[in-house]
Amino acid sequence: MRANRSRAALVALALAALLPGPATGEYGDVVLNRRSEAEGVRPVVFPHWFHRIRFRCKVCHSELGFRMRAGSNVVTMKEIADGKFCGMCHNGQVAWAADRCDLCHSGRAGLRSGIQGGHETLGPGHW
Amino acid sequence: MRAILLAAAIVSMAFPASAQDKGAGKSTYDKTCALCHATGLAGAPKFGNKADWAPRLKVGAAKLYASALKGTANGMPGKGGNLTLSDGDVKAAVDYLVASVGGAKSAATPVAAAAAKPSPAEAPKVASAAPVAVVAAPVALRAAAAAPGAAATGAADPNAFNRLLAAPGKRNAPPAEDGIHDPANPGTHALQPPLTALGGMPALAAGNRVNWVSSLEGGRITPRWDRDDAGAAAVVMDLNIVREVKGSMPDVVYPHKQHTEWLDCSNCHPQIFIPQKGANQISMASIMLGQKCGVCHGKVAFPVSECRLCHSKKKEGAGPAAAVAGARK
Ligand code: HEC
Ligand code: HEC
Ligand code: HEC
Ligand code: HEC
Ligand code: HEC
Ligand code: HEC
Ligand code: HEC
Repeated sequence: MRANRSRAALVALALAALLPGPATGEYGDVVLNRRSEAEGVRPVVFPHWFHRIRFRCKVCHSELGFRMRAGSNVVTMKEIADGKFCGMCHNGQVAWAADRCDLCHSGRAGLRSGIQGGHETLGPGHW
Repeated sequence: MRAILLAAAIVSMAFPASAQDKGAGKSTYDKTCALCHATGLAGAPKFGNKADWAPRLKVGAAKLYASALKGTANGMPGKGGNLTLSDGDVKAAVDYLVASVGGAKSAATPVAAAAAKPSPAEAPKVASAAPVAVVAAPVALRAAAAAPGAAATGAADPNAFNRLLAAPGKRNAPPAEDGIHDPANPGTHALQPPLTALGGMPALAAGNRVNWVSSLEGGRITPRWDRDDAGAAAVVMDLNIVREVKGSMPDVVYPHKQHTEWLDCSNCHPQIFIPQKGANQISMASIMLGQKCGVCHGKVAFPVSECRLCHSKKKEGAGPAAAVAGARK
């Protein structure tokens, strides 16, 4: 490995990135903001850690068809009300219904869609 | 620590001297700059984030080119650390970054005449094209990387003992203080603070600071395998795949068991991994870029800094120093 200065700087930076940084949401939080802000509501924050206590990944990412790639699911409230996406559970049966707007639309203005919470690998994942 | 440095070094090697298509700002960005600028790593101004870029755009394109080529004292490495890039490639990547925050028009001008200096009149135009966004930028928190430890401990001491290690109280911050939830939103205060949910589970040093595998095995949590049927059992397959690693790192043991507790075969096969031992090229660099194991690890499943959980098989004939504390508790 050549010891050139910029590489050393890069190593130091990458190292810094692996250490816990200041709080930016909980690890695994995903922001969904394809349309929300443009339509005048706060961005959506989806907490993985909260849901995975109740469901295995397979339920959402295989059974219910959420694509495992931040920003790739195009979700509208009409679909949620029709029982798709979040609405497959947030329907007043499996979990509280979609009328609790402020529980989902809880993000700060200006958030971009994507994974939050001090993630270490770059996203959205691609394969 | 050495291990982490090693990983960091690997990441830096992900961008070797490769012939790049000339002028393709996006391609250079994807290969070299995205590592930091996509996520705001180390305080880098984030791709597409106007608040991050607005103050920088004010100084004009010439200064930005110079910073990108020569580097800055605050962490931007010259040419992004890849000295094999041509000046033109780097400038094109700067244009691509600038265009991401709406500075497209003025950025295009300097590309068209890369040699010609952008007229001073253009600089203010760039600035007005991307006014400092009023919105709170979550990355601003990261941008304070110069003294995050100080922020975490509430002290301004540059020689604070734990400069970067987050104080326990700052981990798993409640929604209203976590930087992404809007405290002005009433619902925010109804959400469960992570520490309340995760507090009693077996600990891990990173990620959610919870060992999800032992939490599940020990029955601390009972996540459903089926949306409606609480009694449905997971289809678990116990098959370990050992991936030999060149060099001194212990070999990687990929366990199907822990994965199929959570996931369906179709979550990985065949899109992420061809189901055949050795058929997939995996490297730490691709993992850091969010491919292969990095699709989940580092985002939702335990993060990459937990080397030993993956690199868990001691090499034949390796000294006791390489012994692994055991991936499982
Ligand atoms: C279970 C979570 C959830 C709840 C509850 C919820 N939403 Fe949404 N909403 C979403 C998601 C997810 C999106 C897609 C986010 C995106 O990509 O911008 C969305 C998108 C939207 C959008 C933009 C897209 C469109 O359909 O026009 C509007 C407007 C919106 N929600 C309004 C509301 C209102 C009003 C309520 C309360 C009646 C509400 N939402 C309740 C999850 C929720
Ligand atoms: C309650 C539903 C639900 C469960 C359970 C769930 N996820 Fe997700 N997952 C989502 C949603 C929603 C997204 C965001 C998709 C989007 O942004 O379009 C997501 C996104 C992701 C992403 C993409 C992140 C990125 O940056 O591209 C990964 C990886 C992921 N999930 C992995 C997992 C793993 C691993 C588990 C199990 C430990 C899991 N998920 C459990 C709903 C779920
Ligand atoms: C190792 C992380 C890293 C990589 C890789 C990286 N940057 Fe940066 N970049 C930074 C940081 C940190 C800053 C903020 C530095 C500062 O404020 O002086 C920055 C700032 C910049 C700036 C603004 C400079 C200024 O004067 O305000 C430009 C332009 C830039 N980078 C372009 C690039 C380009 C083009 C590439 C790819 C060829 C690249 N960067 C790769 C970390 C990186
Ligand atoms: C597989 C079912 C399922 C899906 C799909 C699902 N949720 Fe949930 N969600 C739940 C359950 C169950 C709860 C807990 C309800 C309770 O506490 O009464 C919950 C709770 C929540 C909470 C509150 C967390 C807290 O702190 O109390 C939020 C926010 C939320 N979901 C957002 C979303 C969003 C956004 C989506 C779609 C992207 C989504 N959920 C999709 C099942 C689901
Ligand atoms: C988390 C991702 C993941 C899941 C989920 C998963 N696998 Fe795999 N599988 C892998 C990886 C990684 C390999 C190793 C590929 C390699 O060595 O290149 C593999 C290899 C295999 C192989 C080849 C074994 C050999 O000796 O050649 C088979 C067969 C297989 N998987 C079947 C399954 C089945 C059946 C399921 C569901 C019960 C499943 N996998 C679930 C990631 C996964
Ligand atoms: C589709 C998502 C996904 C992919 C891809 C994936 N994993 Fe995992 N992995 C998980 C989840 C979820 C867990 C459960 C633990 C957690 O979430 O922290 C896990 C757990 C593990 C464990 C168990 C750790 C323990 O404490 O027993 C190992 C080892 C592991 N993964 C290695 C790998 C390796 C190596 C690869 C790539 C070949 C890989 N994983 C790819 C999702 C994934
Ligand atoms: C999610 C699982 C996982 C974690 C965590 C992980 N690795 Fe790896 N690592 C792998 C896999 C898979 C390979 C590829 C092995 C092969 O060649 O088949 C690998 C390969 C390597 C290699 C060989 C060179 C290369 O890039 O392929 C080194 C060195 C290495 N890892 C170091 C580390 C260090 C240091 C850490 C901790 C900072 C770490 N790894 C964390 C899964 C992991």
